[in-house]
Amino acid sequence: MTTPQSASIAARLRAATLDALKATGIAFGLFVVMVGLRTDIGPTGALLLRTRWPDVAALCAAVFILRLVLALSVRPQQAAVTPARWAAGLSRAGLLFGPALLALALILPFIPGIGRYELDLGILVLTYVMLGWGLNIVVGLAGLLDLGYVAFYAVGAYSYALLAQYFGLSFWICLPLAGILAAFWGVLLGFPVLRLRGDYLAIVTLAFGEIIRIVLLNWVSLTGGPNGISGIPRPTFFGLPFSMGGGPGTFAGFFGLEPNPSHRVIFLYYLILALALLTNWVAMRIRRQPIGRAWEALREDEVACRALGINITNTKLTAFALGAMFAGFAGAFFATRQAFISPESFTFIESAIILAIVVLGGLGSQIGIAVAAIVMIGGFELFRDLDEYRMLVFGGAMVLIMVLRPRGLVGSRSPSVLLGARRE
Amino acid sequence: MAYALQQLINGISLGMIYGLIAVGYTMVYGIIGMINFAHGDIFMVGAFIALIAILSLMSSDLMGGPAAILLVLAISMAFTALYGWTVERIAYRPLRGSFRLAPLISAIGMSIVLQNFVQVSQGARVKPLEPQLRGGVELMRDGDFVVQLSYMQILIIVSTLAVLAVFTWLVTQTALGRAMRACEQDRRMASLLGINTDRTISLAFVIGAALAAVAGTLYLLRYGIADFFMGFIVGVKAFTAAVLGGIGSLPGAVLGGLLIGLIETFWSAYFSVQYKDVAAFSILALTLVFLPTGLLGRQEIEKV
Amino acid sequence: MSAALQPAAGTEILEVKSLSMRFGGLLAVDGVDFQVQRGSITALIGPNGAGKTTVFNCITGFYRPTAGQIRLRRADGSVAALQTLKDHRIARAGVARTFQNIRLFAGMTVLENLLIAQHIKLQKATGFGIGAMLGLSGYRAAEAEAIDRAAEWLRAIGLLDRADDIAGGLPYGAQRRLEIARAMCTMPALLCLDEPAAGLNPRESDDLAKLLVSIRDGTATASPPTSVLLIEHDMGIVMRISDHVVVLDHGRKIAEGPPDQVRNDRHVIAAYLGEDEEG
Repeated sequence: MTTPQSASIAARLRAATLDALKATGIAFGLFVVMVGLRTDIGPTGALLLRTRWPDVAALCAAVFILRLVLALSVRPQQAAVTPARWAAGLSRAGLLFGPALLALALILPFIPGIGRYELDLGILVLTYVMLGWGLNIVVGLAGLLDLGYVAFYAVGAYSYALLAQYFGLSFWICLPLAGILAAFWGVLLGFPVLRLRGDYLAIVTLAFGEIIRIVLLNWVSLTGGPNGISGIPRPTFFGLPFSMGGGPGTFAGFFGLEPNPSHRVIFLYYLILALALLTNWVAMRIRRQPIGRAWEALREDEVACRALGINITNTKLTAFALGAMFAGFAGAFFATRQAFISPESFTFIESAIILAIVVLGGLGSQIGIAVAAIVMIGGFELFRDLDEYRMLVFGGAMVLIMVLRPRGLVGSRSPSVLLGARRE
Repeated sequence: MAYALQQLINGISLGMIYGLIAVGYTMVYGIIGMINFAHGDIFMVGAFIALIAILSLMSSDLMGGPAAILLVLAISMAFTALYGWTVERIAYRPLRGSFRLAPLISAIGMSIVLQNFVQVSQGARVKPLEPQLRGGVELMRDGDFVVQLSYMQILIIVSTLAVLAVFTWLVTQTALGRAMRACEQDRRMASLLGINTDRTISLAFVIGAALAAVAGTLYLLRYGIADFFMGFIVGVKAFTAAVLGGIGSLPGAVLGGLLIGLIETFWSAYFSVQYKDVAAFSILALTLVFLPTGLLGRQEIEKV
Repeated sequence: MSAALQPAAGTEILEVKSLSMRFGGLLAVDGVDFQVQRGSITALIGPNGAGKTTVFNCITGFYRPTAGQIRLRRADGSVAALQTLKDHRIARAGVARTFQNIRLFAGMTVLENLLIAQHIKLQKATGFGIGAMLGLSGYRAAEAEAIDRAAEWLRAIGLLDRADDIAGGLPYGAQRRLEIARAMCTMPALLCLDEPAAGLNPRESDDLAKLLVSIRDGTATASPPTSVLLIEHDMGIVMRISDHVVVLDHGRKIAEGPPDQVRNDRHVIAAYLGEDEEG
């Protein structure tokens, strides 16, 4: 603040208060019905109304204070500079942060105090990291908003479950098959619709996601319908099962270890870590290649791509199929880990969560996605009581990020090729 | 024959609800060229506000008769319109001129927020509402099968037509309507000509939300249930209606709504109820791929 | 300006024949014929709404013409019927274009913009992604060659030192030049420019004129001489560098010929001065 005159302070204060009062009025209008009057199902089954005026008052007060603080603190210049500086700092920290995170992920199972629960949580987070990295190929690189990503996750999961059930194929054969099948479905669904404009594409992919779920739900003879498929074979250590018996043909027997149920969990943990890292490696590698650059060019300007001779439908299709393939891998992993799948696991909400992770991670930033998955999945898992608010926070954060910093929170894009580096 | 006639009546009354919501999609799309992903959830909010209004009136013994239903409609429209306004103000207005995907992602975020806000504030359970309007007019009898036009369906058809009549007047005869159409043609030019485009866009959201509130109220009264997730499927279907009718075209939205309502009803009646949503989703995909301008839409000429 | 070499007769690279384009009820282009000679700079001029951009979009495949033919005769003698090709095929057939409102890949670097222009060639060298994924030498060589070509063009447009900067951050004039360089990196037979001088200051316009002449003559880089077709409002540039000028008005060709001749054509003067010529 530079020598502010008291008059201008008073004027500012008055304007801010007025503004805050206006916002509070609107908040009151929004909350008075929806929060103030709660519908409950009474003992007779009829609906009853319960009043909650204090909650409305509290919410209005919160809006008033927040708005007042915001109006008083935000200055135009500051608002423009701070995020950029913050991001630059973050990206510098990111150089060390990434490897540190990777190292932590690698040794996690052997850190004292990390038990079964923590490892399961780690597996869950890593599944979302992998899905986020896979979807990032489609959304972050190619700029195609895919709202039905979970459909390919489902295709992968059901592929493994059904192949194992009907043909007795092992996980290690099914894993690539699940990815290939999911990619195949990606091509099949993508081919007719990838010509559409971005927003149409979004809603059509959403429709496809729902169609696949509804088919899984109703094709009872094949998929078991809402009951799902259970008894899906657990993975083996390249042929050696994790068995409590500990015979010579088992993992424990082969390596001469005491049979322990945590072996399988640790193995699953490393399996998903490897799959996630594979996703990351492929995505990073491809980004530096013609096809990856073409994806990014598509995201920037389709018309210009066409003028340069790039077949945009095929280029989009490769991104779509590759993203779908990784979802298929993740799906097969999910099936073997849970040993049970049902259509309930593949609702639109899942697609929305994965998209939210990609968006919060900064649309294109690999490390950002990992952090977003850790915070949003791991964080809420740790604070179970807040579970009700999880999606509210997800949705709110998506809006907030788009409004404040649409190109993402973490760092800026690193070029896929440098002239300078080559000359040196 | 009688069965088909009954399905026709059911389909039209359902289609009118879709049409009301579709108008909101198409109007916003026409003006700012984005899919208001949260519009289905605005419909859901409308249904909830109507539910709460009905319960309040019931608790003071005022519920019953057309006046009460009109009052419920008015309350729902007013409060839902405020939601529509707020959504635009918070999630869309700051993003004008941002990169391509930003408004769409923000809209999806807003949709998630609305759903979960209602889930947190009103609970996740499906709210049943006993029928408020019983009986109907018997149209014809075929053996045991009675074709009935229920009072509820009459209410849906009459109030939809009334609301659409007012809406049409608003868009074609008033200064607001002219401003909206001007923004549709060329927003930059409209603002140069002294039209307050921000206000016009806000009003489009307010009107769209009010129409969705009418749809929500009617849906609640007809089907007797409300839950926080109801806007998702209904929203996608209404969007399908808007696309089928030709996005940007207001009569097209109503026409599309009626078609979707009829297709869904007849599909459920003659083929399979389980796959009725698949029917709607498939129509969406097929329309976009083979008839992207819809039935009444204009051909868009790409400007390079 | 160096004296333009007169092209040998009968060596047209582009032939537009009775081209028409109708939008709904509006006949935007009505039976236009003209040719672009190999090794020439041909300008398409006319008042606003004359149909220049529409003709341009037909040639570059962004519109499919209602009637007429557009033939591209390549150096090897083969002929491509452009009106039947999809837009990305047209670029592959040897027609590159720029846009009235610059369309760079704004979030990517200058060098990346130029590499994307060589996508077709590079993609072939990757062996559908597999070779490049594994870092095989065939791809490395192709990429090195592509970078060399990009660097050559960057030198030609004076942006070599900005190669690793974000394209969207360049000054306006540099963005215009970069867009031309990007089009040239597709190694076209014909370069189509949509108002390349729009928004440039006199100095930049002058540089542009020199660049276009050097592209035509093949002196800008090691690339062979390239024919140029441009739409331009800046008559100074048109008159100075064009070998041939085609004038459109109300969707019809009203005159064509060397700049001096066109400048004194009474139809052209009338069209520009707004006299009613349609009686």
